[in-house]
Amino acid sequence: MALIELKHLTKTFKGKTQTVDALRDINLDINQGDIYGIIGMSGAGKSTLVRCINFLEKPTSGSVVIDGKDLSTLTPAELRKLRQEVSMIFQHFNLLQQRDVRGNIAFAMEIAGMKRDAINKRIDELLEIVGLTDRQHNYPSQLSGGQQQRVAIARALATNPKIILCDEATSALDPTTTTSILNLLREINKKMGITIVIITHEMSVVESTCSHVAIIDNGTLVETGRVEDVFSHPKSSAARKLIFRKTGADAPPLGKRMIRIVFEGNASSEPILADLVMECRVAVNIMHAETRDVGGKAFGHMILQLPEERVQQEKVIYYLQSRSIHVEEV
Amino acid sequence: MALEKLIPLLMDGIKDTLYMTTISTLFAYLLGMPLALALVLTSPKGLKPMPLLYRVMDFVVNIFRSIPFLILMILVIPVTRFIAGKSYGSTATIVPLVIAAAPYVARMIESSLLEVDPGVIEAAQSMGASIPQIVFKVLIPEAKTSLIVGATISSGTILGYSAMSGAIGGGGLGQIAISYGYNRYQTDVLVATVVLLVILMQIIQIVGMFISRKTDKRVRE
Ligand SMILES: Nc1ncnc2c1ncn2[C@@H]1O[C@H](COP(=O)(O)OP(=O)(O)OP(=O)(O)O)[C@@H](O)[C@H]1O
Ligand SMILES: [Mg+2]
Repeated sequence: MALIELKHLTKTFKGKTQTVDALRDINLDINQGDIYGIIGMSGAGKSTLVRCINFLEKPTSGSVVIDGKDLSTLTPAELRKLRQEVSMIFQHFNLLQQRDVRGNIAFAMEIAGMKRDAINKRIDELLEIVGLTDRQHNYPSQLSGGQQQRVAIARALATNPKIILCDEATSALDPTTTTSILNLLREINKKMGITIVIITHEMSVVESTCSHVAIIDNGTLVETGRVEDVFSHPKSSAARKLIFRKTGADAPPLGKRMIRIVFEGNASSEPILADLVMECRVAVNIMHAETRDVGGKAFGHMILQLPEERVQQEKVIYYLQSRSIHVEEV
Repeated sequence: MALEKLIPLLMDGIKDTLYMTTISTLFAYLLGMPLALALVLTSPKGLKPMPLLYRVMDFVVNIFRSIPFLILMILVIPVTRFIAGKSYGSTATIVPLVIAAAPYVARMIESSLLEVDPGVIEAAQSMGASIPQIVFKVLIPEAKTSLIVGATISSGTILGYSAMSGAIGGGGLGQIAISYGYNRYQTDVLVATVVLLVILMQIIQIVGMFISRKTDKRVRE
């Protein structure tokens, strides 16, 4: 049984003038130990979805089941208790400005009703984990964004949660700090077995960190699965748009036939293109190339512009397919 | 007026004014604080929306806020008599002062509480905080600086009201200014009371701002 089960989840916001279907029939299973990325464009419904998981937002219909408990059946007190097992971190950190680092971490445990001594002991452990022992008496205004997010992570870990929800947790950070925060999250997932849900609009975050990904577009989940599967063979146009957003490959110049080829695993270490040129005796134009490391496995993709002649085009495609390389028209 | 008579008169005035201002501010906060919390919590965007209750409280506060203080003071004379046994003098004046100041204070506190970052409140909710925990651990502590600034402004306003109350039987410096300076044309007394009121106002302002700055953790040291 999955740790988080979303079943036929919908959320409709009724305004005075218009209604917004923020989520439509979302079905998703997230297993214990996953780092699950949920990616989509702005306004796709990512924040709404993640806020439904801890019932900060009540779904219009459908159910959220966490660890076998259907959240809609819980009393308010039971729901508050459950939220101590489902922590959340935010884009803008949301720390108490009038409390220092220790005070902020203590906050989560005060709410949980822990004793002062136990709180202090746990704070020391947590400061060690997030590497902020030397900053423990600083106030948020004295910390960098990355340090503030570390405090938020320590606070999220304080009550030994089963799940951590991250809503754009690295979107306000520079690339280096983003990497260090993502590394910390991965480490937490590996060492403590905490399931992590990462909401983001950045591909690179999912690639570097997640085991699974769900692509949300206009309130609907259009694709879900293991990161390497979804990214190497994106089926939906929303997924392709996200994955190749920078390449502009969705709109090739007219009259030029282009293909996208995908390498997976060891295929990317073979000199496929050199072989192609020699075997078929054609010139192909590399419009775009990228290789990435996803889940420890190398994979890459390229956009090739094919020669003018139809026969030669087919030759190239046939050759690539014979080397079991995925080819698709763009 | 001779100095040896003027000084004890003014000292008495200061004492009465401070007495009225501090006690009234205290009671205004005792009433205003729960009122402000109720407004913030029951508002449509609050943690416990109760639209009808909110609209009623909002309306009542607005009514009291729109009646000029001197007129309010006359309007509530029966209430003042009922509570204080008479309608003139420093102690009795505390009643209309509190009635006028409580809604004012409630608005001040309300606006301070609304300044608290909704993200922090959401974070507290996501940790499973109850409404009382959010009020006492998030709303009030996070709004502290702004609340102190508000208290400074409110007590200054109440000081002003207390001086005004001198016109119709209140005590303190306001009463001295009116009965000596206005009714008996003793300009020196009038000037002296005005100077003292200005000084009192300055002291409140300086002390209030000092405390709020000292307690604010948002400024980098
Ligand atoms: N409280 C609300 N009332 C009305 N509409 C809302 C509310 N919250 C979200 N929406 C709408 O629901 C849709 C999804 O919003 P959501 O915040 O979940 O998007 P998002 O994917 O998180 O976007 P972003 O990347 O910009 O944060 C949007 O059209 C938004 O306008
Ligand atoms: Mg969002």
